[in-house]
Amino acid sequence: MANDIVLETEALSKHWGGIKALNDISLQFHDRQLHGVVGPNGAGKSTLLNMLCGSLKPTSGCIFHKGERIDTLKPWKFVRRGIGRSFQKTNIYPEATCIENCAISAQRRFGGNFNLFVSRHSNKLVRKAAEQALAQVGLESRSDTVAAEISYGEQRQLEIAMVLATDPCILLLDEPMAGMGHEESQRIIELLKELKQTYCIVLVEHDMDAIFELSDQLTVLDNGRHLITGTVDEVRNDPRVKEAYLGAEEDDAEEEAA
Amino acid sequence: MIFEKRTERILVPMFFMVALFLPLFLESNSFFVGKVTTIIILSIFVMSLDFLVGRVGLITLGHALFYGLGGYLFVILAPEYEAVNFWIYTFYICGISALIALITGAVVLRTTGIYFIMITLAISQMMFYYFFDSLEFGGDDGVFIFMKPETSIFGLSFLNLDDPQHFYYLTLFSLFNTLVFFKVVLRSRFGRIVEATKQNPDRTEALGYNIFIFRLACYVIGSTLGAYAGFLFALQYGFVNPSFLAWEMSGTALVMSILGGLGTIYGAILGTFTYEGLQYLFEHLTEEWLLFMGSAIILMVIVLRKGIAGYLEKLLEK
Ligand SMILES: Nc1ncnc2c1ncn2[C@@H]1O[C@H](COP(=O)(O)OP(=O)(O)OP(=O)(O)O)[C@@H](O)[C@H]1O
Ligand SMILES: [Mg+2]
Repeated sequence: MANDIVLETEALSKHWGGIKALNDISLQFHDRQLHGVVGPNGAGKSTLLNMLCGSLKPTSGCIFHKGERIDTLKPWKFVRRGIGRSFQKTNIYPEATCIENCAISAQRRFGGNFNLFVSRHSNKLVRKAAEQALAQVGLESRSDTVAAEISYGEQRQLEIAMVLATDPCILLLDEPMAGMGHEESQRIIELLKELKQTYCIVLVEHDMDAIFELSDQLTVLDNGRHLITGTVDEVRNDPRVKEAYLGAEEDDAEEEAA
Repeated sequence: MIFEKRTERILVPMFFMVALFLPLFLESNSFFVGKVTTIIILSIFVMSLDFLVGRVGLITLGHALFYGLGGYLFVILAPEYEAVNFWIYTFYICGISALIALITGAVVLRTTGIYFIMITLAISQMMFYYFFDSLEFGGDDGVFIFMKPETSIFGLSFLNLDDPQHFYYLTLFSLFNTLVFFKVVLRSRFGRIVEATKQNPDRTEALGYNIFIFRLACYVIGSTLGAYAGFLFALQYGFVNPSFLAWEMSGTALVMSILGGLGTIYGAILGTFTYEGLQYLFEHLTEEWLLFMGSAIILMVIVLRKGIAGYLEKLLEK
């Protein structure tokens, strides 16, 4: 069991002045598992993902990928190790077409990134990878539409397609379903079920039904603290969790009870 | 097709056709041939700036540093009373400029936004005052170039740089190559990442690209071509002085590029010709030409918004 830990944090903390966005978090993420992360607004979920993908440096603590310490590496090196992330706030190339958005993501691993003279359209492998990623999230019909012109829900789908196009082994997804219609969410849930057979997925999500349905492991954060990590049932029945959610938001608490 | 827009496909051949035959009509008027040569050289400079500012997103106010370097490197490297080979010295000057761009770029590109603007300006001003105060390079008077380079390749010489028409065609050829080069680069795989970096640098980094290296590569490319333009300018007038690398030079080039249509590349030609044309006109009409010139530029930038190229594209693209 121990050797299938692909990502691990040790006493990870992030402080901004007096704000302790995350405090002393030690977590283990396993290969071929979906690890859900939940918590009220401001709990530090995005901060955790930002550190796992390298775009934020921890105040203290370490991150290990397959046993190697990685938190000191440059952000772009994380992707080369197969760690890909999607953003809570849609972060795409609005002026480019959907297929081009995915092609930018895919191109890195096929080389020739410093080729000044060969047309960007000449590599069929890049194109194929981009098309495949679009198809996975169900956006193939939008291939040639400029990203700024598709609906918000579709942009959320594109956001996921772009991560998939980087061909990661570890997927860090920050509220991927937020803003999607029911049908699209359902599609992404099915996709995640399929992907977790082969990848390690860390999923931050406010949709409790989705999280309960998908998670193998579930972590609850509250106010920067690590409340509990366990199976869905363990977490559901934990009194501290109920307290944290009741203390935070009404409707979240209702979802919890449902 | 590297010219993706209809406007480009119409304007670019039109411009080069007219330019190609222009000296034949102006044969008797060598002043105009010289004037147009200067504007063509400036267009190369403005185009290289347009690439950096409009396509890479590096708002530099120190581009004139390289314009000046192009000229000064020649007087530093070449013996005073001996005609050196043009192609070999082009290679030297571009090579050394690229190296200097690599070193300065590695420093300035650590900063972004307003700091980048300030530090590029500071470095070019530093060089300005260096040459301004140097006794060796003639201080603010600059240095004369007594011998123009010869242009033989393997003993074959078909170009005489002392002949204004020959020189004209050399600059026109250079402009054409610069335009095609930028277009090819921007369409390439490298260009895809450059475009991505300009649009959304954070995401590009999150996708695993070392955006610093991409920016640095572009900075070296743009700066080298800027230096080449400065070299041509020094050859045309037979001297180089500190005004080549004054901040006014960077500023004017930026205005020309905005006037032409920032980031359109071919717009640099439109912007430079319009600016120089207007200046020529006002200079001959009135003493207070600067006032009129300034007003005209401000008006055009406000009315056209996306520059002349942007306006023409609105008319010609459907
Ligand atoms: N750049 C920053 N500077 C200062 N404080 C920050 C910064 N980013 C986040 N924080 C603070 O850190 C805490 C955790 O924020 P984070 O975005 O990680 O929460 P979250 O769990 O993702 O919340 P949400 O559910 O709203 O997305 C919040 O209190 C937030 O105000
Ligand atoms: Mg968040």
